Amino acid sequence: MTNETPHEIGVDTVSPSDESVEVTAEEASVERSDVETDSPAPVETGGVLETQSMDVYYGDFKAVGDVDLSFAFHDITALIGPSGCGKSTVLRSLNRMNDLIPSARVEGEVRYHGDNIYASGVDPVEIRRRIGMVFQKANPFPKSIFDNIAWGAKINGFKGSKAELGDLVEQALTRAALWDEVKDKLKDSGLSLSGGQQQRLCIARAIATEPDVILMDEPCSALDPIATLRIEELMLELKQDYSIIIVTHNMQQAARVSDKTAFFNVALDTQGQRTGYLVEFSPTDELFTVPKEKATEDYITGRFG
Amino acid sequence: MTDMNTAAMPAEGHGEIRKHFSEQLEDIHVSLVELGDLVLANVRFAGEVVLENRLDEIAAVKAADEPINALYERLNAQVFQLLALQQPVASDLRFLVVASRMLYEMERSGDLAVNMAKQLGRIDGIPTDPTLHAILAQLLEASSRMFQRGIEAIATMDPDIGRGADAEDEDTDRLTSDLFAAVTARQEDIGLEPSVALFYIGRFFERIADHGVNIAQNITFAVEAHFPEDH
Repeated sequence: MTNETPHEIGVDTVSPSDESVEVTAEEASVERSDVETDSPAPVETGGVLETQSMDVYYGDFKAVGDVDLSFAFHDITALIGPSGCGKSTVLRSLNRMNDLIPSARVEGEVRYHGDNIYASGVDPVEIRRRIGMVFQKANPFPKSIFDNIAWGAKINGFKGSKAELGDLVEQALTRAALWDEVKDKLKDSGLSLSGGQQQRLCIARAIATEPDVILMDEPCSALDPIATLRIEELMLELKQDYSIIIVTHNMQQAARVSDKTAFFNVALDTQGQRTGYLVEFSPTDELFTVPKEKATEDYITGRFG
Repeated sequence: MTDMNTAAMPAEGHGEIRKHFSEQLEDIHVSLVELGDLVLANVRFAGEVVLENRLDEIAAVKAADEPINALYERLNAQVFQLLALQQPVASDLRFLVVASRMLYEMERSGDLAVNMAKQLGRIDGIPTDPTLHAILAQLLEASSRMFQRGIEAIATMDPDIGRGADAEDEDTDRLTSDLFAAVTARQEDIGLEPSVALFYIGRFFERIADHGVNIAQNITFAVEAHFPEDH
C-alpha cells in the first residue's frame, strides 16, 4: 500500500500515544453506551474493521494473499475454508496477534475505524484491547473467576473503586451469560468451571476491556453440542454491541450464526507454494443457498476438498 | 488474485468426498423421472379410456395409480430424510426442496388421471359427439405433452424448459375453453350430468398440464435459484 496518511491511533501526529489512545477508547465507550440505550447506532462508513489488499507472510512464504474484507458493527462474520487456507492467519492479523510470531509480516492495510493498525507507532497492546480475542481452547488464568475479569481490567488501567470493579466484573459476566452460574462462587478458580463455562469466562474477560470487535478462533471446537449452542446464542446476543468475527470449521455453525461469510481456499503459486486466498464474501443466506463461485459450491456441499 | 494459479487446489486429495450422499441424490433424480413416466403413462391410459368409453378399464386406471403412490411415498421419505440428516446446502438444498414440490405435483397428476376415469364411470360413458371427441383428443395430446416437458426438464435439468413452459401451455388453456364452449352449446342434447362430467374432465387435463409447467419451473429454480418470471 502506498498512502501514508496520518493515523488517529498512531503517534505520528502531535500527541503522545497514551493520550491519543485514551481519546479513542472514550469515543468507543460513548458509542457503546449509545447502542445500549437504543439510540440510533453510530454511523459506520463501511466496516468498523477493514482489510485492504492484505497479504500475510511468514518469512518468504505467503500464507494468504490479496484479502479485501469489511466487517460491520452488529454483524457476525464467519471465515470458513479448508485447512491451510489462511483463515486463522487472517483472523490473527486483524488485531496484530501475528506480531507475536517473529517472521510474520503483513502487507496492505487493516483499518480499524479508518486507521491502519499496522501504521508505525500504533500500540499493538491497545489494538488487542479494542479488538478482543477468544481462542479455540478456553484459557482462563489460573486465578479466581473474579480475578480473571478484574485482572485484565486493572492491567489495562482500570482506576475505579472496589465497588466499581465489582460492577465491572458482574457486568462482563452477565453479558457473557455466565453470571447466574458463577455469582455464588466468584472466588473459585476459573479452571474449576466446565469447558463451556470457561469459554464464556474468556468471552467475559475479553468484553471487560471494552472492545468493539471480538475475534473468535474456533471457539466451540472443544465444546459439546449444548455448550456450543450456548456460545452461539451468546454471540447472537453480543452482536448487538460488537462486531464479531469467527473462524470455524463447522459450516453449520457459520450458517446458524453469521450474517456474512467469507470463504477462503488454497491455490498453488508458480513456485508450487500453497497460498490462501479469498474466494467469496457474501451474505451468509446467499452463500449457503446460491453461492456465486463454483469453488464455494464444491466446498460447502462437500463435493471436493 | 495476483500471481496465483486461481484453479482451486483441493486441500486433501482429489475427487468427490460425499460419494454416498451424491449417490442418494442421483437415486432420487432417476426415480423422479421414473415416477413421472409412470404418471404420464397413466394419464395417457386414462385419457384413452375416456375417449374410447372403455368402462371396463376404469378399475385398471385406479390400479395403475397404486405403484405411483408407493413410489411417491418412498421418495418423499427419502427426500425428507436427506433434508434432516445431511444438512444440504446450495444446489443440493435447492434440488431436494424442489424434489419435494415436484413429488406433490406428480402425485396430484396421478390422482387426476384416476378422477378422470371415475367421471367416465359416473355417467356411464361420455357422449359420442365428433366435435367433443376431437377436442378431447387434442386436450389429451396437449396435456400429456406439457407433462412430458416437465419430465424432460427433470431428466435434463434444463432450466430453459421452465422458462418457456407457460407459453407452451397456451394450447391446453385454449382447448379447455373450446371444450367448455362446445359442451355449453350442446348442453340440452347431452344432458346435465354428462356436461358436468365433461367440464371436470377438461379441468383435469388442464390441471395436469399445469403440473407439468410447475415441474419444469421448479427445475429452473433448482438450477438457477430463481423461478422464471412468469411463475
